[in-house]
Order: sequence, then C-alpha cells, then structure tokens
Amino acid sequence: MKGAEVISLFSEILQGNEMIVASNGNVSRQVYHLLNKPQIYLRGSMGLPLSVGLGLSLSQPEKKVIVITGDGNFLMGLGSLTTIAHFPPENLRIIILDNEIYATTGGQPTVSSTLNYKLLIKGSGVENVYSLSSINNEKEVNKSLIKLLKQGGLQILHIKVERDDIELVNIDWHPTEITKKFHFGHKIHFKSS
Amino acid sequence: MIDSIIFLEYMKSKNFSLAIGVPCSYFSNLLIELERSSEIQYVPATREDEAIGIASGYYFGGEKSFVIMQNSGLGTIGDALTSLAQLYNIPMLIFVSYRGLTEDEDFPEHSIMGEITENLLKSLNVSFSILEEEGWQDTLAHSIDQSLKESQPVCLLIKKGVFG
Repeated sequence: MKGAEVISLFSEILQGNEMIVASNGNVSRQVYHLLNKPQIYLRGSMGLPLSVGLGLSLSQPEKKVIVITGDGNFLMGLGSLTTIAHFPPENLRIIILDNEIYATTGGQPTVSSTLNYKLLIKGSGVENVYSLSSINNEKEVNKSLIKLLKQGGLQILHIKVERDDIELVNIDWHPTEITKKFHFGHKIHFKSS
Repeated sequence: MIDSIIFLEYMKSKNFSLAIGVPCSYFSNLLIELERSSEIQYVPATREDEAIGIASGYYFGGEKSFVIMQNSGLGTIGDALTSLAQLYNIPMLIFVSYRGLTEDEDFPEHSIMGEITENLLKSLNVSFSILEEEGWQDTLAHSIDQSLKESQPVCLLIKKGVFG
C-alpha cells in the first residue's frame, strides 16, 4: 500500500472526534485532503510531530491524539520517543508511515531500511508497539488501525509502505488559520488570566 | 533572588500548568521546586526544539506552558520558532539563562553565544526582557500580556543568581 492509501483506509476507522497531528510535507497534505478537518497540519518543524502530539495529549487528556508521521520526520526527532515513553500519555497513538525515503524532497534515502523499529521502540519503554508491512497486506493494516484506536494506552504502529506515493496539492490554509480552525472545530476554550 | 516557590505560584495564578525544559545550573533551584510542584507539571525535554514542540502542542489543546533552557539552546530552536511557534501564532514564555557574560570567563563554550544572544533574538523577531529580582512580577506580567496579545513566544533572559 502507498502511504496515502493507509491514510484513506484510516478515514473509515476514525470516530471523528480524534485530534490528529500530521508531520510536514506529503503526510500533512494527505491528512489534510483525506481525513476529516480540522487537524494540526505541520508545514515545517521537521522532527517535531511527536513532541507536538505529546503536548496536545497532555492538554487534552480526554481526547484521543494521533500522530501520523513519516520515517524521516520520526528519525529527526528521535529523542521525543524517549520522552513520550517516559510519561507515557494514555491517550496518545503514533503511526509511522515508513517508505524509507524523504519522499517530499525527491526520494532521497533515509537510514530507515536498517532500523529495527520494534526493538528501538520497545527498548525505549513503549509496551504496545506493532510493526508490519503493508505490501499486499491491506487486511492486516486495517486490523492494526482498528486495534490502535480500540486498545487503551500509548501505542505505536510502524507500517512499511510503498515508495511511490500519491502526490496531492498543497494545504490551502495558512498556519495561523490552522490554529484558529483547530481551536474552533474542536471547541477549545481558553482560561482567562 | 526570586523565590522559586513564589515564582511558580505566580505562574500558576496566570494559568500556566506545564513547564518543559532542558536544565541550566542557573535554574537548579527552580527545577527542584518544579519537580516538587503538584500544580505545574514538568517535562524534561531531550532538546530545546522538542520543548518548543511540546509547548506548541499544549497550546493547540488550549493550555499555556513555559519553556526553560540555556542560551546555548537558542542555537537549536530557530526552526521550531520560525516554522512552528511563530508561524502558527502560539504564545509561550521562554526562560533563557544568559550564559557567557563576565562571570562565565572560565567557560569559553558560552562566550560566543553570550555575545550574540540579544542580536540572535532580535534577528529571530522574538521580543525579550531581562528578568531581574527587582520588579520581576511587573516584567513577567508585561511579557505574559505581550505574548498573549500578539500570540507569539516571548523570551526572558535570566542572569546568574536571579533564581538563587
């Protein structure tokens, strides 16, 4: 499966009240075009989707927070994995769509092909980690995505996806609009000080 | 010296409920009190840009936090500021220890960043004040107001001894 196909599949599984943080580049575009809005679409800050997801999960403990990231982005902010594992927020889920390349910048390789994600993530202290290939495996991917939402506690799902992905047009919301629409759409109110 | 307990009570009264940081010895008293605090949660970050990311996510969820770091961390957070916190209109306070001044003459590792700290913040378009013991509540109140009004990160530079 392509990364975008996994995200499309996920659209049928989501309840609609989840909060999603999407890593910059193709993943953000795909989440923007293929999943319900509004969500947090990162335009830059490569390496920070897990940390944004951690912050969001701490301020919204009643909501399910799902981080969708590519492998390059995950690897750049690897330290955040250990911070998340240390706490670990009950309401946080992380999906790593691993195509072993920096797809947005033209397909340059990451070092992902030699990394054992399951060992790395388990070793960091995350109990619930699942790693699978999506190649000719839509049924299992579907099952894993359902389980990710159903099961309680911090969970990380690593999915190998095809390198060739679907190119989508850019996000037409300015980041300041993304923040406003997210707050409005998810009915987030501020305490006055 | 600013009493760390009174400082944290003040931050709580302004609805800050989370602190994220990478330590500096200038903040050792404050960090001890933060670890003890039941009202403000503390998250030790692995890097300063991660701290900015966590603070940003916390604000996406509608809550306010502050970040603690050494000025060496300013060298790490350029992208987290310009492509996340500033771009997405995210208010936060960043407490930065001002290393590399005369008292740090035996620590050459701080000397260059010490010289460029204020210019670096100016280049990044981050408003900043130097937080001193005298009038600290007024300085802080002004910074918090500015951060919320402009929906932007605001920095407070902390010299040696201010937090004990």
